[in-house]
Amino acid sequence: MTRIYTANVADTVMFRNLGKHPSPHMQSLQRAVEEARTEIWVPAAVYHELADAGSTDPPANPYLDTAIEDGWLRVATPLPGDRADGFDASAGSVKKARYVADEFLNRQSKYPETNNWADAALVALAVQLFEQNSRIRVITHTADANLAEACARIPPEFGYYDIKSRYYNPPQTAKTEFPTVESLTWDEQ
Amino acid sequence: MSYDTEHVRNVGETPGPITGIPTFTELLDNTDLAALYTSIRRAGTTTGPELVETTTVSKKTVYDYLHKLEQAGLISEVGDDAGTVVYAAEEFELTLTVQNTEVSITPQLVEIVAHENDFPTIERVLDDHGLVTFALAHDLVTAHSEGDVTIRQISELTGLSTGTTYDLVEALYSILDLGDDDSTPTTYVPDKFDDGEGDLLHESADE
Repeated sequence: MTRIYTANVADTVMFRNLGKHPSPHMQSLQRAVEEARTEIWVPAAVYHELADAGSTDPPANPYLDTAIEDGWLRVATPLPGDRADGFDASAGSVKKARYVADEFLNRQSKYPETNNWADAALVALAVQLFEQNSRIRVITHTADANLAEACARIPPEFGYYDIKSRYYNPPQTAKTEFPTVESLTWDEQ
Repeated sequence: MSYDTEHVRNVGETPGPITGIPTFTELLDNTDLAALYTSIRRAGTTTGPELVETTTVSKKTVYDYLHKLEQAGLISEVGDDAGTVVYAAEEFELTLTVQNTEVSITPQLVEIVAHENDFPTIERVLDDHGLVTFALAHDLVTAHSEGDVTIRQISELTGLSTGTTYDLVEALYSILDLGDDDSTPTTYVPDKFDDGEGDLLHESADE
């Protein structure tokens, strides 16, 4: 029987806390990923946020490039959809999930409407992974309470229930709590 | 008896003096002065010799600053400990309104300035983006700790780059000791959200 694959989707704040290569925290993450037999996934938006601005083409990423080269961290292909298009009932699940997440984050915020397209990419990537893999579970990692809630609430609305969303508060706890087998594993001890 | 006028509220029968106005704004520009005021405020009550022991500035500077803070009404003598004056910090709020934008300087902002040397991003934000952005970032990071906004929303609302915002979030969480005491992440699962929470997909479709 095929083993169920667990994908871990991580937000920018996780890597800001682990630090640029070479970093002992990133080394801990690599060991935990190997032991947990998983992979880390990031949306393209997260890769670009962590890249060195305008240095090279393609951009160099001091946080992620080594992990990508070593094969345990994957950057998702750009997600479909454009925020300016608005909600389209006939669109695919990934596109719709991203729009719903963007709206949800604005509704939860006590301040004026903002563009949450990069935040919403985490939710959309989780849905995309479910769409592309039949035997998969997804764990998301972020330090934003509303985004953590969106990650656990929205994929089930598209029929995907095998999702857990980890919320790190305060954000700096990600330094020690994210690079562990327990955080990356579905059936944590 | 207390009464209000156009410019003054809660004035007593004999109005208390507020002098040394530059000291209020110096608190945002002088890390050592901000640190001394914050130490007194955090301690509740303290004395000159105790401050000399715990601060990094010279004894002369401590006493110069105590005099300056007292002149401005930012600290008061509240007692005597075997011949040594005991001080307590006073709360304050200095509000500026320029072109309809209102911003308040408070002890909370001063406490952040007191840590400027530990977190260079604080000075960068104050110098490059100004007081309004700095105060706004403070309030939004506090809101983030209460789950009201995301870090990217802070970046968009303040106009700070995402990199600077992440640095500032880390600094303010450390200085203000924000967040949970338990370092273990909270795990949300779909079961946590019952049927009464509404269907987000249909809400978006309806709009």
